Amino acid sequence: MRSLLRAWVALPFSLPVGFNAEEAHNIVKDCVDGVLGGEDYNHNNINQWTASIVEQSLTHLVKLGKAYKYIVTCAVVQKSAYGFHTASSCFWDTTADGTCTVRWENRTMNCVVNVFAIAIVL
Amino acid sequence: MVEKASVLYLGLCCINYFLISLLLFPKSLFPQVMMMSDIAKDPVAHSRKKRGSVSSLSSHEFQRREIHGRTKDSMSTVSYMDEPSQRDDVSRLTVQMENTYQLGPPKHFPVVTVNHILKDVLTNYLQEEEYEPELCRQMTKTITEVIKAQVKDLVIPRYKFIVIVHIGQLNTQSILIASRCLWDPKSDAFSSYVFRNASLFALANVYAVYLE
Repeated sequence: MRSLLRAWVALPFSLPVGFNAEEAHNIVKDCVDGVLGGEDYNHNNINQWTASIVEQSLTHLVKLGKAYKYIVTCAVVQKSAYGFHTASSCFWDTTADGTCTVRWENRTMNCVVNVFAIAIVL
Repeated sequence: MVEKASVLYLGLCCINYFLISLLLFPKSLFPQVMMMSDIAKDPVAHSRKKRGSVSSLSSHEFQRREIHGRTKDSMSTVSYMDEPSQRDDVSRLTVQMENTYQLGPPKHFPVVTVNHILKDVLTNYLQEEEYEPELCRQMTKTITEVIKAQVKDLVIPRYKFIVIVHIGQLNTQSILIASRCLWDPKSDAFSSYVFRNASLFALANVYAVYLE
């Protein structure tokens, strides 16, 4: 009876039953394609591009309507004979929180977008 | 006493007649079976017809169809059982915590302290290093673990941490790293530090999110 009551209280809000990484992956990939698709690396526009990628990804993630806090990181690098490494380490609740990374590239640049979603316990 | 026995005997005869008719005339039930496969999508009607056919013992052919029908029937019942067990799974997955009646974090994330931690770790690990692909690959992973351990040692209750480290070769290329967060700015915070030496650069970010 108590478990039913708990379920009834929780159900109106979408409970974090694990982060859906695939859904986030698709959302972010579409955003990046939309902003950077067909563009060449341009130092003047790069600020604008990263800002719009991050903002659009965030708005689309919020539209999913899940009870999560989001952190979206985007790194855009010019393609050259360079080396670049990224690593992340997280201290969180592995059942409810999750992450998703999208790597995108074209002829002149590479783009790495990280999405971290942390559950809000309502 | 005799009348009761006779009534009983009559009843038994009726049942026997019914069973015998089913045995002798199984074909009479076949039209029902055909309808079962057609109306398979309607679970209620299906189960009703199923109940009718279960009582019969019959030919081999009919038994095969019966088993087939039974699997269909079992599928529909499982779907009803799923709902309560799904709720149990959900409540098991999320840890049910009691109300703390706290409106905000009692101890906030110390941004300045963490800044110093990042500066110390990055400087110690990377001061004399040259950029090498293998070394830097290992170094990024090690540095994230070290920073995470040091931030955990600060023991700030109810906070979750995300540590991100980028290491790159210093060249004439251009790089831009941006991040945006959707959170509660009163309780959540981030800390960041950039380290540079002759051949490489390193950026470390720590995001701290309060568990509401």
